[in-house]
Amino acid sequence: MAQDTGGVKDAGKWIEAAKPEYTVLIDTQHLVTRLYDMVNVPTAVWINEKGRIVRPNEVAYVDNRFKGMHGIEASEYLDAIRDWAAKGEQSAFAMSEKELKERLAPQNPDWALAAAEFALGEYLYHNGQGEASIRHYKEAQRLNPESWNYKRQAWALSDAERDYGTSFMKEVQKLNGKPYYTPRQLKKEKEQK
Amino acid sequence: MLKIQILLYAAMICLPAATALFAAETGRRTVIYDDRTTEVAPPAPALSADDLWVTLEDLKLATGFVIKPQGVCRDELCFPIPKARSSAFLSKQGSITWFNLSEFARLLRQPVAREKEVWYFGPRPDVQNAFISSFAAPDFKLPDMNGREHSLSDFRGKKVLLLTWASW
Repeated sequence: MAQDTGGVKDAGKWIEAAKPEYTVLIDTQHLVTRLYDMVNVPTAVWINEKGRIVRPNEVAYVDNRFKGMHGIEASEYLDAIRDWAAKGEQSAFAMSEKELKERLAPQNPDWALAAAEFALGEYLYHNGQGEASIRHYKEAQRLNPESWNYKRQAWALSDAERDYGTSFMKEVQKLNGKPYYTPRQLKKEKEQK
Repeated sequence: MLKIQILLYAAMICLPAATALFAAETGRRTVIYDDRTTEVAPPAPALSADDLWVTLEDLKLATGFVIKPQGVCRDELCFPIPKARSSAFLSKQGSITWFNLSEFARLLRQPVAREKEVWYFGPRPDVQNAFISSFAAPDFKLPDMNGREHSLSDFRGKKVLLLTWASW
């Protein structure tokens, strides 16, 4: 799911280069981000044959091209996916109801409002009101500072330094040691089972 | 064929912008509710412009809700209007009854964002958070790069790795 306001114009070349044998969709409104309460990419959710979530949102790198930046090893995640593909509900990585309940929490009201502000920003951007959209993207970023999607998408649509007074690298530096992705608990859970 | 396609794309790009411009010039408001966009009538002068008051006809058009004796209803779902505050929700102006959609959103704890006469209503918390108790993956329909739409539910019977990425 490409979370790309620019649609085919921005995401298309990457899809063509990947020559995917799987379905690739383009989400110009960041609808999936909102529905699943996501804050970054790549994020994945595992869904079983009945349409039930068996692993909720988590960082989902499937190769190591950016490992130098975030330190997340892709192979263990790929192994986990293969294990689930082979064993289904019996996989150690398919979460129980108890684990899912521990992991999932209601969306906090500020994040809900942030999603609304971002969605309005998207509407305005798509309707030729780029300047007005910036106000709402900024409000979404303020209300949900954890969302890199809200930041990076908005910055990509204009001049980040001019309109937002920042840049991706500046914001990464501000993390000051805090992880860019919420740490994944894949290995720990596997060992506990 | 190519010309028709180009014209269609041009119309897709220009129509929403033209609609928004038209709405701004006529005093009409744009309401985005359940991700559906509707233009509604200009407000009655006596009603506060800080809230979104809509006619009952526009309420149905924009949200699918109608006023019934038991409350504000859509299909089997009904939300009672608090009796002590009914004037905050309904106002009769001449022969027309107006409904305060902003107040209704506050009652339901719906997030609302506004830019002048464009109003965006987010989902109610119970709708947004339904999957955290049912574990049912929220469904959606999105296009691939050729414009063909796919729903998540189309993949029922298969395991799905739902993975988001971006060009930025």
